[in-house]
Order: sequence, then C-alpha cells, then structure tokens
Amino acid sequence: MADETFLSDDLLRQLMSVGEVDLLVGILSHSSANTMRRAAHYVEKSLQQNFVRQRVAIISVDGGAAEDAGSDYHSGDGQPGDSLNSKGLSSLRTIHRITAGFNGTPSLGLALRTILSSSDLLRAKACAVVSPVTSSASPEWVANLLRPAFRDNFDFVAPLYSRHKFQGLLARNLLYPMTRALFGRRIRELYSDEWAFSSRLGTLCLNEEDVWREEAVRSRPEAWMGISALTSDFRCCQVYLGEKPPPPDGAGPDLVEVLRQTVGSLFWLLETHQQAWMERKGSEPVPTFGPDHAVTAEPMEINRARMFEMFQNGVKELGPILQLILSPETFASIQGIATLEQQFFRFGSELWVTMLYEFAASYHHSVINRDHLVQALVPLYRGKIYAFLAEFSEASAADMEAVSEHLCLEFERQKPYLTEKWKVGVEVKS
Amino acid sequence: MALQEDNLWYKDAVIYQTHVRTFCDSNGDGIGDFVGLTQRLDYLQELGTNTIWLLPFYPSPLRDDGYDIADYTTVHPSYGTLDDFKAFLTAAHNRGLRVVIEMVMNHTSDQHPWFQEARSSRDNPKRDWYVWSDTDAKYQGVRIIFIDTELSNWTWDPVSKSYYWHRFFSHQPDLNFDNPMVFEAMWEIMKFWLDMGVDGFRLDAVPYLVEREGTSCENLPETHAIIKEVRKRLDQFYPGRMLLAEANQWPADVRAYFGDGDEFHTAFHFPLMPRMFMAVKLEDRKPIIEILDQTPPIPENCQWCIFLRNHDELTLEMVTDIERDYMYDEYATDKTMRINLGIRRRLAPMMENDRRRIELLNGLLMSMPGTPIIYYGDEIGMGDNIYLGDRNGVRTPMQWNGGTNAGFSFADPERLYSPLISNSLYGYQVVNVDSQRRFNHSLLSWMKALIKTRNSYRVFSRGTMEFLRPSNHRVLAYIRELGNEKILVVNNLSSSAQAVELDMQRYKGYIPIEMFGRNLFPRFGDLPYLLTLGPYQFYWFRLRRI
Repeated sequence: MADETFLSDDLLRQLMSVGEVDLLVGILSHSSANTMRRAAHYVEKSLQQNFVRQRVAIISVDGGAAEDAGSDYHSGDGQPGDSLNSKGLSSLRTIHRITAGFNGTPSLGLALRTILSSSDLLRAKACAVVSPVTSSASPEWVANLLRPAFRDNFDFVAPLYSRHKFQGLLARNLLYPMTRALFGRRIRELYSDEWAFSSRLGTLCLNEEDVWREEAVRSRPEAWMGISALTSDFRCCQVYLGEKPPPPDGAGPDLVEVLRQTVGSLFWLLETHQQAWMERKGSEPVPTFGPDHAVTAEPMEINRARMFEMFQNGVKELGPILQLILSPETFASIQGIATLEQQFFRFGSELWVTMLYEFAASYHHSVINRDHLVQALVPLYRGKIYAFLAEFSEASAADMEAVSEHLCLEFERQKPYLTEKWKVGVEVKS
Repeated sequence: MALQEDNLWYKDAVIYQTHVRTFCDSNGDGIGDFVGLTQRLDYLQELGTNTIWLLPFYPSPLRDDGYDIADYTTVHPSYGTLDDFKAFLTAAHNRGLRVVIEMVMNHTSDQHPWFQEARSSRDNPKRDWYVWSDTDAKYQGVRIIFIDTELSNWTWDPVSKSYYWHRFFSHQPDLNFDNPMVFEAMWEIMKFWLDMGVDGFRLDAVPYLVEREGTSCENLPETHAIIKEVRKRLDQFYPGRMLLAEANQWPADVRAYFGDGDEFHTAFHFPLMPRMFMAVKLEDRKPIIEILDQTPPIPENCQWCIFLRNHDELTLEMVTDIERDYMYDEYATDKTMRINLGIRRRLAPMMENDRRRIELLNGLLMSMPGTPIIYYGDEIGMGDNIYLGDRNGVRTPMQWNGGTNAGFSFADPERLYSPLISNSLYGYQVVNVDSQRRFNHSLLSWMKALIKTRNSYRVFSRGTMEFLRPSNHRVLAYIRELGNEKILVVNNLSSSAQAVELDMQRYKGYIPIEMFGRNLFPRFGDLPYLLTLGPYQFYWFRLRRI
C-alpha cells in the first residue's frame, strides 16, 4: 500500500471537522476498548480542568479496538459526558474526539505517524501521547506533559516516574546511562509510554519519510522521536508524573522482545545519528519539572536464582556467537564470571559498559544478523541484573542514585572506546 | 394599522427597547421626551418591530436611571406629561405597535412618599411597607448584587434609627410584600396603566420580592404566590396583557416563574446572551447548545425573551468564573469596560465593528426560539462611551442624522443629557439612521430585511427547535418547525470558511430555499448534505416538499 494512503478518508473527514487546535492528545494503544475508554476519560478530564480555553482534540489510535471504542467516542457538545456542568470546571469549547484505525499492520510507529499527521493537519501547537496500559495515569499527567511544550516552548517532554528500586532495571542499567553518555543529555525515560512534543519537532519527525518501515521506529517510536530531538538540538525537558507500577503479570512482552525493541532500537539510532553522538562529550542535565524523582521502596518478588542459571547457560550455549560480537578480552572476562559461584558473582560496571559498546559496534558492522545479535545480549543482561540485585538488595534510595550515577559516568568514560570501535571496526573472527 | 386580537401576541413580537430620554427631544431641552418619541414611531414601524419596551419614565431622582421611582402614576416632567404619554400610546397602537412599560415592584426610591412616611416614625401606618430591622444581622449570607457600590443589603436610617433592607442601591429600599397593603397598592398602580391601555409590564427585580431568614431571599414560594395573584387579576380583568420577568437566574430557576402558565407570560433568557458572544469568540457552538440543552421546556402559553444587548451591563452573573474571565479577557480588556459582574459595551464595539459578526449575532437572535429584543441604536451599529459613569456609556442619544446633535435635539450640545458619540468610527456623522436609509446594503437596511423575513414566518416565533449536530463544531445548525413550516438555520461561528455535512435524511426530498435571495438549493437526498459557508456566514433555508 502506498504511504500516502495511510490516512483514511474517515480520519480526514474527522480532521476537517475539527479544524485547527492548540493541543492534541494521542492515545496510543493496541489494547481493548475498555482501557481506551478509561484513558479517554482521564485525558478529557485533564483537558476540561486544565485547558479550558484552548482548542483541543483527543485522537485515539488503536489497531484492534477502534471500532467498538468509537461507538461512544465522537465529538460532543452538550452531550452526556461532555457538558460536565455549567457551574463547575469545564472546557469552554467542544472537546473533539477522533478515532483512527489502521489500514495496514498495526504498530506503535504507524500509530504515532497517524498522530503526527493529525497534529500537523490540525496545526496543534503541542501534542502529548499517552498509553492506556499505564494504570496509574491521571488527568494531571496529561496536563504536566502538555504544559512545558505548550507554554514553555519545550520541544520534547520526557516523563519521570517513581519506581521501586528494582523496577525499570533495563532503563537504569542500560538505556538511560548509554543514551546519556552517547547523546549527552540526561533524560531518564526516553523509552516510555507517555511523552509530549512541540509542533516543530512533530513536523520534523513527520517529514522523515524513510524511517517508518524501520523496526526500531515501528516498535519504539518514542525513543526515535526523543533521540531526534536530542540530536537536532531541540529544547528538551523532563517532567515528574508520579508512580508507575509494573504492568500486571503477563501483560507486557517478554524480556527477549523488550530487548529486541529497546536495545535494537538504540543500536539502530546510534547508526542513524552517528555523527551527532560522536561529536558529543560528557553529558548535561535537562530542565526537570515537578517534585524530585523518588525511588519507592515496596518489596518486590524477583526470582534471582533462575536468572543466574539462565546467564550461565546462555554464555555457554551462545559462546560461538558471543565470540563474533565481543573482543577476545571481553569474551574471556564474561566467560570468567560465568564460572563463579553465585555468592561470589559480580558483573562490574567497567565490563558491562565495555561489553555493551562492543555489542553496539558489532551491530553497526553487522558481524552477524542484527536481530540475533540483540538476542544474544539477553542472557548477559540477565547476569548483570542478577548481580545488581544481589549487590544492592539492601541499598537505600540514595545509594541507588549513586550507583546509577557511577554507571552513567562509566559509560561516559568509555565512550571513546565505542567511537574507536565504531570507526575502525572490530576484528571479525573466523 | 390596528392591533391584532391575539392573546399570544407576545410570542410573535419583535421588541424594540428604548428610553424616552435617549430617543428624541422635541422641545430642545436636551432630554428626550414622549412627543419626540411619538414623532419617531414611523421609524420603528419601518424597522419592522411591533412592540416597544420603554425604560422607566416615572418621576425619580434618577440615581439608577429611573429604576428608583418616586411616583408611580405620572411621567417625569423632563419627558413630558401624562397626556403626552397617552398620545404616544394611541399613536403607537394606531401603528400596530404595542407598548410595554416598566414596573418596579421590589423597591422604590428613598424619595418616594411611602418611604418618607415610613421612616418618619416607627408608628407611622406606612412603616410596615418597608423591611426594617434593629440590627443588620438578619438574612446573613444573602448576596449583594451591586458589589461595586454596596457593602451590605442593610442601610442605617438615621431618621428612624434602624436598618432598612435593600437588594440594590441603598437609596432603593425594598418594599415589604408581607404586608398585603403593599400588594394592593402596587396592583392599583398597575391598574392605572392598564386602564390607560399599556400592553404589558416588564417586572423588574422579580426574584427579590420576599425575604425569609435562612434562605437566599431569592425565588421564594411567597414571591411566586404574589406573581400568581398579579397574573390571576390580569387574566381576569385585562386579558391579552403581558407580564415579562426580569429574573437574572439559571434557566431552571427562571422556569419556575412561568408556573403552570399562570405566572409570567415571558421571561428573559439571561444565560443565553453571554454564551452567544462566547460562541462567536470561541468559534464553537458548545456554549449555546449546552445552555439550551439545560433549558427546561416551558408551558405552551409562555415564551422566552432573548436579546444581545440592553441598557444594563452585559451581565455575567449566569456564567461560570472561567467563562466570566474569558469574556472579560476577550470583550473587556480595558477594565473601564467592566462594571459589577458585567461589561458595559454596545454590540457593534464588542464585535469590533465587524459587520459579518454583527449580522451573525442578529441572525441568531432572530432565528432562535424566543421573542427577540433589539436595543435602540444597535440596529445601526451605534458605539458606546466607556468613559461615562455607571452604564451611561450605552445610553447616549440616538443618532438620527449627521447634523446638529445627531438629529436628536436642537438644544445646545452642552445641554444634552449626555454627550453624543462622536469618534471617527462610531460617531453620529458616520453612523446614523438617515445615512443608512440611503443604502440597501447598510446595516439598517439589512436589519429591516432580517426582521421582515422573521415576521413572515410564524415558525420563528412559535416553532420547535432541534439542533443538528454536524461534526464541524464551528457550525451551529438547527431546524425550526411549526406544522408544515420548516426552516433550516446554519450558522458559521468562525472567522474562516467552513464546510459542513448535515444529516438531512429525515427531510429527504425537501428542497431548501434560501430565504433572503429565495434561491433554490439542491434537494436533500440520502447522502449527507454538504454546505460551505464563508466567515461568519449564515443561511436560513425554508424547506419545501414540492
């Protein structure tokens, strides 16, 4: 199907009716109509309470549930649900509600492209994207995301969440420190379900016509958008939203899929923005709004024993592949720690960062199939997390922040190593 | 032209609101009078209006533009004599124009003989005609209406050494309707004017007639009982006369003043007015639809009165705080334009003299359910003077021509009761009746055509209304229907061209005929009916099945 047909006639008709808006909120989901309705409810409430004068629209983009979600989901004026009341808080204007289904295979990338196109056609000054799967999201979240983009001229607004110290481990141990070191801005949650952006950034991304079929963009479009903002020197900020509980058991994708999406996306972004990250040195904080990012401390059940076992088995079974990806020294070090007893096992920051940078460089040089390469990282990641949990089980919130900072600095310290590997290539072993 | 015999005439009325003082001065004293008004009746007939609503013309200290009445049974000497009034009334009726006058039941001036007697001693027979108290602690919590000038609803009377109750200015003591003699005295006054031939009363400040401890002292059952008694006597002795309620309340509260068709015939729809302005500024139909959806049905023999502007401030009491702030920010950026909880501006300046918006708002006024009221001068786009005190900026002399004193008076300009509007945009040299009579495309000519069209179809005054809800929210569309008469009204509330698709399947086969040009448009079919509208454009279509 030709790209130019991805906006349906029905969507165009809805956009024509809306006209121009100040704010657009996209609800981006593959989930059920019920979760979509819940999200639509809190988004609408937020707009009613916080942006009473603005022209606003909500677009729900859902590949699977649009039809049944849409039955009671159209623009209203004085219809039930819209006219809260005439004596209380209520938007002065009609809150437009748009539904968009997909013609093609659903993906978050296609959904975001639909939102970007809508935002562009509606000439929205700022746009927020939220996910119905975030059970703790509230009307305030939407307002907090939108305000910096709408009122303070920020181009990319990333969220900050409260999490348990053992939650968000991938972000803490890999995604945040690596993106920070490479792209030079301290944004903790580039891979998130909620974010906001300005019309300038939206237009820039929409005009990137060649990226939409890339898996990295299809699966994690928010990271692509965030990195695009960082590398094009758009104004970025973070805003504290609140607690973000983990999805219910079995609700999210498995670890392999998560790493394929996130780390695969990150490695791909390194390639597409190599000039930008190579020129950056060190890292700078970005403006952060709201209360301090706090780590909560509720206990969590994590089966560590199984993780260590999977690490050891993975190193053993994937040895030939890891040899292709890693330098001999790094591979040997990995093999070395894989033979340790559980109680002595450590996965140091230096080795972890070196290993990841070698993975990134090998991805760049395509030493093996890229998808297989990312999957080979899975057992190693499990080993790192096992070690992390063992080492910091008693750590306080402040300790955890110090550990994170230490890791970030290690990523920054070793960045020249990645640059070197990236430019000259790794030694491909036979 | 004789008056039509129809007890429901107020449903078909197009009311012209004016003040004797502002309209035409016949004797050169700088103040309008009844003789002058009578001379100008042809103009009102020519405009197409069929009812005149006069602001108070009674003797008064004029500390509240005549709403502080000192004598209910004659005419303020500045405006002429009772005979002048009678002549005016006859002349109006001869032209088919009905006359509605003000009746302020709630309070009098403190100069009224009743109050002078009442305050003279605690034993005076008239003492109990007003509401007195030894303390100012009674009726605590009752809101103060004129918040810019009054600190309390009680004022200390140094003469009788006690407090008297007043919901408005302190020089307007409230009458005590718990005393039956007060009601009877007021009925006698009404009879006086009814016997003379007036066609109706606008009853001022209706919700506040009775006070009760522990209540808001508004809309009390006892107040309704008083209105019912007035209505009963009116129907019995003066059938065909009309009562119009001034009750600045939410529609659900005003609804009670229609009773079971046995209280007021008509009542102002106050909350609708600011929302029409809001809708045009927001370019969104939501405010209008929302308030009309909240408006309960009224008895068959009753009617809402709707208006854009009047002699008072554009009241923002019946809006939310958010809506009020928005209205202030958009229509009264200069704080001088604000008074009490409202905006003291005329229609044309509020619309920045944008002819398209003025027409759109008048189009709404004439096509929505209710009896429309035109405030004098708005039909020619008169401006205001926000630098005059109180609400006098919207009460300047009528601009008849570009000559001396705008044709209002031959007095020395310095003697006029109010300075004329004379700026380069709205001044009488530019905006006046004579100049607009000369061109078919003037606002005045356009207004005449609009009113004529409205008057030609009873569906506008008596028909039902049903909103269409096209997905384009900048378009307000509705169907008016009365028997076989069907009208489609489509309004573009926005400053840009709009396309709209209307679901007209119910009217499949009907041909829409544009009512001003009488042009045929394509017949309605199965598909959504596509219309395009220019900025602020509106269509009235008569739907015909041929």
